[in-house]
Amino acid sequence: MSERHLLCLLRLVLGGVFIYASWDKLLHPADFAEIIRAYRILPAVLVNPAAIVLPWLELVLGVLLVANRWADGALLLADLLLVTFWSALAFNYARGLNVHCGCFSTKAVAEGDMGWYLIRDGAFVLLGLAAMFLHLRAARRSPQPDSAPAGALTA
Amino acid sequence: MLRKSIARMTARALGIVTLSAALALGLNALRPGGLPLLEAAQQSIVAEAVSGGEISIQDAALLLLSNRAVFLDARSVGEYVAGHIKGALSVPVEDYEGAKGQIKAAAAGKEAVITYCDGMFCPLGQELADLIRTDGIENVRVLKNGWELWTHENLPVSTGPNP
Repeated sequence: MSERHLLCLLRLVLGGVFIYASWDKLLHPADFAEIIRAYRILPAVLVNPAAIVLPWLELVLGVLLVANRWADGALLLADLLLVTFWSALAFNYARGLNVHCGCFSTKAVAEGDMGWYLIRDGAFVLLGLAAMFLHLRAARRSPQPDSAPAGALTA
Repeated sequence: MLRKSIARMTARALGIVTLSAALALGLNALRPGGLPLLEAAQQSIVAEAVSGGEISIQDAALLLLSNRAVFLDARSVGEYVAGHIKGALSVPVEDYEGAKGQIKAAAAGKEAVITYCDGMFCPLGQELADLIRTDGIENVRVLKNGWELWTHENLPVSTGPNP
């Protein structure tokens, strides 16, 4: 598998993850706000704006990644979000706060298994960073005209 | 080349954030059940604890101790002098017109105005609250049976003609 194909695959996977992750939060913004509040990281005034904007940002990112439009910018943001989410989880894990992940679902059902979240989201972070690495390598190697964005399957 | 594509990547990322935020905030404003954009972590007890314009003794005490409410004593001046909630102003219902300016000044910057009388069946607190509400002052609450509850709980009181 060429690097180009691998980058394309990573893009599709990440895009799919983001679209899937956005859905439940788009439908239940109030529940998502409660989860953000439970993380006890954002100041209270920023909780609702974050609960409103984050799901849409995830959806837009996912669609752009899958459709390969502005995929470089989307990849950068996706990586920033993944690292931020993972850090927030790890921070709460370290201080002993067992938060509900809120990653893919807003249902505050069973107690979240923080260890599992950390591993799973850590894997997403690695995927995102790998995609960024491949993208930057491709960008350095070949001058990319605007019409051939990251990971385009045009030979 | 690398620098150029990083610059373009960053610009597009900013564009995506702007676009998503506009989309999200716009649709949130339109959709039924959208979240209020600015909401404190907890509603103030002034807004929360009221039913039928009354306030509980716990909430009233909390507002007094945190200096967030004006207390108005609706009883007679004689009863006020004998003992009243610490900091309360004496406003017998029949003297309301004359005390209006003083009440407005005292209510400025506070979260609530709380009227009280004594006894479960004393209507004066409610009457005073109704008068104040018709003058456009918001968050007026009645502490029913206020004086008896207050003294029973050993909350701060004063005696004499001054608040």
